[in-house]
Amino acid sequence: MERAPASDSSRLASRLARIGAAAWLLAVAGGFGVLWKYKSTPGAGGAVAPGRWPAGSAVARSTDRATMLLFAHPRCICTRASLAELARILARFHDRLDARVLFWTPREAPADWNTGDLWTSAARIPGVTVVRDAGGAEASRFEVATSGGVVLYDARGHLLFKGGITAARGHEGDSFGQERIASLLTTGAADRADAPVFGCALEDEPPARMARAGTSNRGGER
Amino acid sequence: MSVARKALEMTRAATEAIVQRAETRYEAHRQEILRSTDRIFAWLMIGQWIFAIAVALIFSPYGWQGKVKTVHMHVWVALFLGAAIISLPVALAWRRPGELLTRHVIAAGQMLSSALLIHLSGGRIETHFHVFGSLAFLAFYRDWPVLVTGTVVVATEHLIRGIVWPESVYGIPNPEWWRFLEHAFWVVFCVSILIPSCRRGVRDMRVMAERGAELEALSENQWRNSSVVDRAAADTRGDR
Repeated sequence: MERAPASDSSRLASRLARIGAAAWLLAVAGGFGVLWKYKSTPGAGGAVAPGRWPAGSAVARSTDRATMLLFAHPRCICTRASLAELARILARFHDRLDARVLFWTPREAPADWNTGDLWTSAARIPGVTVVRDAGGAEASRFEVATSGGVVLYDARGHLLFKGGITAARGHEGDSFGQERIASLLTTGAADRADAPVFGCALEDEPPARMARAGTSNRGGER
Repeated sequence: MSVARKALEMTRAATEAIVQRAETRYEAHRQEILRSTDRIFAWLMIGQWIFAIAVALIFSPYGWQGKVKTVHMHVWVALFLGAAIISLPVALAWRRPGELLTRHVIAAGQMLSSALLIHLSGGRIETHFHVFGSLAFLAFYRDWPVLVTGTVVVATEHLIRGIVWPESVYGIPNPEWWRFLEHAFWVVFCVSILIPSCRRGVRDMRVMAERGAELEALSENQWRNSSVVDRAAADTRGDR
């Protein structure tokens, strides 16, 4: 009889510990849910891209192979994954691609705007030309609103692909975009010619047309 | 009662005493290992949390929208989700060390820490090694069901993410059904080696406890015998 209260309190403590463990698992699962949601939400606007290479573009287009442009915010950490994936694509298709990385540079940008490690990383990728996109003029011409957005044109200037090359925000690994680019470069066809773009917005406010296009352009479904 | 029967009963009683003593020694040793491993994990998890915050602050401090910067989601995730992950394991390691629930919660927490670090590093393949290191650390408990809990947690996280958001795991939206097995294979491979190692560790602990109990009983017996001889010698001296 004397041991009963101790046993009851021990049972209660054990039950509380189990309830606490279940609540803890739920809270942590909720936290991961928020993180997954953030990482899997594409940037507004993404990459719209005109069907033909814009006539007013100052970027040189290759006439004997495909040209790929990757638009990047020089301080967007998520774009590090896009650059890593660009390096993987080029390691495989360096003989079929001419690649350029255009770093968005706002008007009246501070002198050190482009001096981060992303510029250095992009410049280190073999076969890549790094370009400063002053005032985001080229991003606007190619209608790319999200860092990490890629456009791919063939040698005649026809759009082959527009979209991102990562599976999630700042997440390295295989993705829709890479798979489709690889298919386009090897077989000339792919199930879709776009993919969602994950990254920071290039402009403070994306142009209205691109924002509208971005909301309907997840490019994930087949 | 015959002398032989008496001797037999005494031997049986002595053997039971040794078995009991061995069980006590084994339990004490096991508790010492469980409690010290709980403490190691409590500090390890606090260290990992600080590391996760440092990774977020160094590699992804800000998110950008044009020229406007805000604190990156990774910083908040490392701070708050990291704190949530370690809260219960550390509290249990502190308040209820050595208990079954504590080590299973620690196993789950350690695997969730791996998942968090993988996310914070942008899915870098190198960070996935944390999963295998963690499984090896969990083997310190020498309690193989803990490894099963760790494996189930990492597999569940992978499975749910593979169903809800397949491209984040496999890079493609409709992976073949066996792709999950391909990912799980190396974890199962690692655990299939660690489980027999844990069981061997427990066997060794039992053998050590039995030998220790035998030695203890032997030395006690010798001490008792020498005491009898000494007392007899003293009595003999006193008679003279």
